[in-house]
Amino acid sequence: MTQKELHNQRLVREAEQRVLHHVTRRHFLKESAMGFGALALGSLLGSCGGSGSKTAANPVFDAAHPLLPKPPMFPGKAKSVIYLHMAGAPSQLELFNYRPELMKLDGQDCPPSLLEGKKFAFIRGVPKMLGPQAEFKQYGQSGQWMSNYLPHLSTVADELAIINTVSTDQFNHAPAQLLFHTGTPRLGRPSIGAWVTYGLGTVNQNLPGFVVLTSGGSDPDAGKSVWGSGFLPSVYQGVQCRSSGDPVLFIKDPEGMNRDLRKASIDAINDVNQQEYKEYQDPEILSRISQYEMAYKMQITAPEVMNINNEPEYIKEMYGIRDGQNSFANNVLLARKLVEKGVRYVQLFDWGWDSHGTDPGTALDIGLINKCRQVDKAITALILDLKQRGLLDETLIVWGAEFGRTPMQENREGKPLPFKGRDHHVEAYSMWMCGGGIKGGVTYGETDEIGYSIVKGKVEAYDVQATILNQLGFDHEQFTYEFQGRNFRLTDLSGKVINDILA
Amino acid sequence: MKGIFSGKFVLLFLGILTVYLVNSCSLFTAKVDYNTQIKPLINKKCISCHGGVKAKGGFSLLFREEALAVTESGKPAIIPGDPGSSELMRRITLKDPEDRMPYKHEPLTEEEIALFRDWIRQGATWGEHWAYVPVKKVPVPDQGDSWATHSIDHFILEKIKEQGLTPSAPASPDVLLRRLSLDLIGMPASDSVKGNWLTQNSQKDYEALVDRLLQSPRYGERWASVWLDLARYADTRGYEADRGRTIWKYRDWVIDAFNADKTYDVFLKEQFAGDLFPDPTDDQYIATAFHRNSMTNDEGGSDNEEFRTSAVMDRVNTTWTGILGTSFNCVQCHSHPYDPFRHEEYYSFMAFLNNSRDEDTESEYPLLRQYSADEELALKDLRKWVSENVSAQKGTEIYRFLKTGQPAINSLQCDKFVNAALVSSWYAGIRNKGTCRLKEVQLNKESELTFRYITYKPGGVWTIYLDTLATQPWKRIPLENTKGNWQIATVELAPQVNRHDLWFRFENPALTNPDETGVLFEWFHFGEPFPGKGKPGYDSAFVRFNRLLRASTQTTPILVEANQALARKTHVFERGNWLVKGKEVKPAVPAVLQTGSGQSASDRVQLAEWLTNKNNPLTARVMVNRIWEQLFGAGLVETLEDFGTQGIPPTHQELLDHLAYAFMYEDGWSIKKLIRRIVLSATYRQQSMAMQEQINKDPSNRWYARGPRYRLSAEQIRDQALFVSGALSTKMKGPGVMPYQPDGVWNSPYNGAQWIQSKGEDQYRRAVYTYWKRSAAYPSTITFDGPGRQVCVARRIRTNTPLQALTLLNDPAYLDLSRRFAYRLKKEAGPTADARITRGYELATGKKATPEKLAPLLKLYKQALQQFSADPVKTCEMVGVMDEHNNPETAALVVVTNALLNLDEVIMKQ
Repeated sequence: MTQKELHNQRLVREAEQRVLHHVTRRHFLKESAMGFGALALGSLLGSCGGSGSKTAANPVFDAAHPLLPKPPMFPGKAKSVIYLHMAGAPSQLELFNYRPELMKLDGQDCPPSLLEGKKFAFIRGVPKMLGPQAEFKQYGQSGQWMSNYLPHLSTVADELAIINTVSTDQFNHAPAQLLFHTGTPRLGRPSIGAWVTYGLGTVNQNLPGFVVLTSGGSDPDAGKSVWGSGFLPSVYQGVQCRSSGDPVLFIKDPEGMNRDLRKASIDAINDVNQQEYKEYQDPEILSRISQYEMAYKMQITAPEVMNINNEPEYIKEMYGIRDGQNSFANNVLLARKLVEKGVRYVQLFDWGWDSHGTDPGTALDIGLINKCRQVDKAITALILDLKQRGLLDETLIVWGAEFGRTPMQENREGKPLPFKGRDHHVEAYSMWMCGGGIKGGVTYGETDEIGYSIVKGKVEAYDVQATILNQLGFDHEQFTYEFQGRNFRLTDLSGKVINDILA
Repeated sequence: MKGIFSGKFVLLFLGILTVYLVNSCSLFTAKVDYNTQIKPLINKKCISCHGGVKAKGGFSLLFREEALAVTESGKPAIIPGDPGSSELMRRITLKDPEDRMPYKHEPLTEEEIALFRDWIRQGATWGEHWAYVPVKKVPVPDQGDSWATHSIDHFILEKIKEQGLTPSAPASPDVLLRRLSLDLIGMPASDSVKGNWLTQNSQKDYEALVDRLLQSPRYGERWASVWLDLARYADTRGYEADRGRTIWKYRDWVIDAFNADKTYDVFLKEQFAGDLFPDPTDDQYIATAFHRNSMTNDEGGSDNEEFRTSAVMDRVNTTWTGILGTSFNCVQCHSHPYDPFRHEEYYSFMAFLNNSRDEDTESEYPLLRQYSADEELALKDLRKWVSENVSAQKGTEIYRFLKTGQPAINSLQCDKFVNAALVSSWYAGIRNKGTCRLKEVQLNKESELTFRYITYKPGGVWTIYLDTLATQPWKRIPLENTKGNWQIATVELAPQVNRHDLWFRFENPALTNPDETGVLFEWFHFGEPFPGKGKPGYDSAFVRFNRLLRASTQTTPILVEANQALARKTHVFERGNWLVKGKEVKPAVPAVLQTGSGQSASDRVQLAEWLTNKNNPLTARVMVNRIWEQLFGAGLVETLEDFGTQGIPPTHQELLDHLAYAFMYEDGWSIKKLIRRIVLSATYRQQSMAMQEQINKDPSNRWYARGPRYRLSAEQIRDQALFVSGALSTKMKGPGVMPYQPDGVWNSPYNGAQWIQSKGEDQYRRAVYTYWKRSAAYPSTITFDGPGRQVCVARRIRTNTPLQALTLLNDPAYLDLSRRFAYRLKKEAGPTADARITRGYELATGKKATPEKLAPLLKLYKQALQQFSADPVKTCEMVGVMDEHNNPETAALVVVTNALLNLDEVIMKQ
């Protein structure tokens, strides 16, 4: 609901109260004549007369209970989202988009038609084409093409909807990440997770509704803005749970203060606040009392949920957990635990996928294989684990990156690099979705024979966003928030739900 | 909504409807008001298809001339005076849903149709939106009530009465003191400022208190924070790398400006055009850093022109959102859907701001260079020498060049690189025998070229050609080996005129590796030899000039306007896409907001004049509203950022205009006088306790029948805790400081920047001095609703979350203050726990403690004391030191002071 509508609604409420409590007919006549009554009534007619919007209303922001669960616009298939973002952008040509023709061109000069009028982050001059470095096979009943870089994930090929035709117009990491997560390459707009928690609230009030977990040694390039709340109230920003120190900033009591004493101290604070309420009657005080109670509960719940040590050995083995380390696998297991406990949106970023080929770590035949090993088992475990718990149907998993990689081998200043690498590529790359009402065993879209451009089924960030919102029960065109006098939506002016991958 | 369907309500509802209908009919003869009756209808029912972005059927209702124009059907939809022949009337009254308007929506009600009919019959006159009409003097309604002691109160009381409410009693002196202190200086008042207000609370004492607070240097620090949100001030550049930016002198300028009560018109003029003042001072230059707070992008491969353009658009949006309260950024892509601004007007306005010399360079040129005191004196002497021996104009030119490095052309303007490249996106770098072009340089008989460059090996030669490489060189310049250090050099030139492409070629046989870069250029300055040759003192003046040119200085990014040779053209961007340039536009303000001060403005000075013209309908209203919001928690126009027809209408439009008028015409744009005016009102001084009836009738206190009560800002919460605990450092200004922050908050790629905790008193500076990194701002600031400062944010939305509780309970920075608070109480409040806690409560809340409020705190103390008495380890952990404070009593007191800093009445203003 926009501020304007909120205001109108308030006028309605006020009018109601006037009517119900104490306004004499005569008094009201006077008000009507003065215009204000007429105005309020106008809103009344508008709101009750059935001339409202056709679809369900936008969510209402309740400052006192901003995170309470709210119904979506229509019943959605998914209740929560786990978004796995491989920051740096893995090569689709080594993982999902099997392009045998590219192999034939390996080592040849890139034709000028692919370079004219194009801009690359690093490639200059004429690079060589580079064939796929991985071996591809068809997997599962559905026969999805996947590579030997992902031996575990290929065993659940029938659960995945692979999209080989994602495109973007941003070839630098930070703006491209922002575009995917906030709908614009610039800073300042809310992230998907913020929109979702704004729209749906969250089930478990003892945990943040939107949790962010990062691995790979660095935060994503775009920094905290990719999980920011933009112009939405800051309560909807992602809460970064940390692998070292407190899992949530300031969740741990100070040293020297045990739980009993913290309880006693919150009780004392709330006792004084109760008295304050008696005096001031401000509902904000009641809200503060409940926030302190919630904080206390969150202090117990969050570290409990964030502790993966208590998971049974076979689960740890399944995910490939490394005790006591910050790893993607640990974060994936945490994501499952969080979703299970009612967290609405879990965003993972794993850094280190930028396979330029400047060193072994970014080589397609060394570093990329290592990165795949770090995530393959855990992601597969997540899918199987959610499935065995009956949660896969209501948990939408999205795997992707900010862009893909060129079919050409990267050169710098006109010279090939010492290792096999690929530059940033915006025109076509791969993502996949799974669970949460997504059809499994589907490959969507088609690129040309070398994986450079899209032939059929172009998917943009906005379409992915529209699809995520759709699975949660939101029409992305109706789901708006008013800021600087304008209705903003996550998908800006674009976005189509990718209907072909819906179950 | 349950009540809606109760029988009683329906009856009343019908009754009201009758009244409403009667009312409507009475309008048959009454004049229909476009603004309040027609425009809202148009916005709600018509504009989404007929105006702004869309004009279905060739019909738009945004401007009157559009609405009366011939539509696609070949006839106009509205014929003034003749509703019967107006197609609009026919279409809204049709029965067939296929043809009826609003298309595929509920039909208009009978009353709405009647309104349209009457309005067209009366001539379909357009009204101007209230906020676009210049502010006029408003008569103060005399309520004849002794409660109203101030003109503000009369306006407020009028509405209070309308709402069936009654004003509240004045707040007690202690509560009022705390409210006033937090509002005016952002933290509790010190004893000297309090004076004798608490013992003698006459009107005169109150006024004296207000004046002392307004004179406190803490005042500027508090109000600067408000402005810095609008100015999107931060200590980093934003985007991916988000590296540091040295621009804190702007923050200090804002603090000084508030403290000196620089009048708002001058305040704005200096920020928009300080560099264009006659002979600007350093401070006036620094003021222009306001618009250098836009972000710059350091990422590889990023297009400098794209991000320069985006910074200029950010300046336009900041100006409109922050200063003019208008959602002008809609017009970036299309004409405004609701308000009377056209697509092209965005770019005409942008043209005012498109000619500053900054170009998204790494060094953030242009910079104000501030020399050491000795050097500043030398510079002054040098200028005097040139003025006396050559000309005053020449003296000014040389002074400006040394102060700002302008005019100069950045090497990133080079293109056509062959065996050369734009290194790191900023520096033209050329390898052996490589070439590149600097295009369309306007030459005007300059006989010298000064440039900044780096070489790595001896023997390099730089050759410049005019217009083509296939010609005789214009200039051949052997380059000294700078051994990898930036150096400034000057060479003579054969004077040339007109615009030329300059082609560069670099050669150095010592470069054996073909991939080796031989030279990097940063900027080029075409000029004249240092003047006054032959005059007495020339030699030493010339030496001084060269020394100053190369001196390393403190720098601050500023605006410097391009001279004619470097001026840019501004084009409309089709659908907001900067790559699709439409027609060229000249600087102009939107037609609807012309102030009648002569021709459309032609440069930034005139923009500044327009902004601060008393006929500008928005500037004063928006600022007055902002100050009101700071004092009352919500603006008279709740949407601080939108005074347009889609913003929330003002609750007290006449009061807003009254204050805006007084602000400009009576108080000469003095912000201190405006604040004084408001806080002296009885409205402001009411107590904030609410009767249940008030809560029911006016839950969000929009009618001001009680005093303001809302949560403090992030800055106020920190500053208050610093003050209460006795830890506050009142040291002012200087580079941003880094108080305690947990590890791992800063974790950006490609950026080795570290949060290095400040030492000594710098840990306890006011929040306004905390280093502000855009991509990872100080955690507790963000938790308490501080913005990221990437773009202008006109209004912080207050939330109430468990993370806020966790911050105040557990953030080691707050624990540290709890400890210091406890030590302070031990020192000041005598030996008993009772006395200490009583004093603690009074310090934290500014109120006398009652036994009821003290009881839970004393109980907490006892419980804590019992635990710590049995546990020396926990005791030591709680107090954090091994000294005289390491005892159970202190540990227990820390638990209580920690609780005190969390009380609702401490983090709320009331």
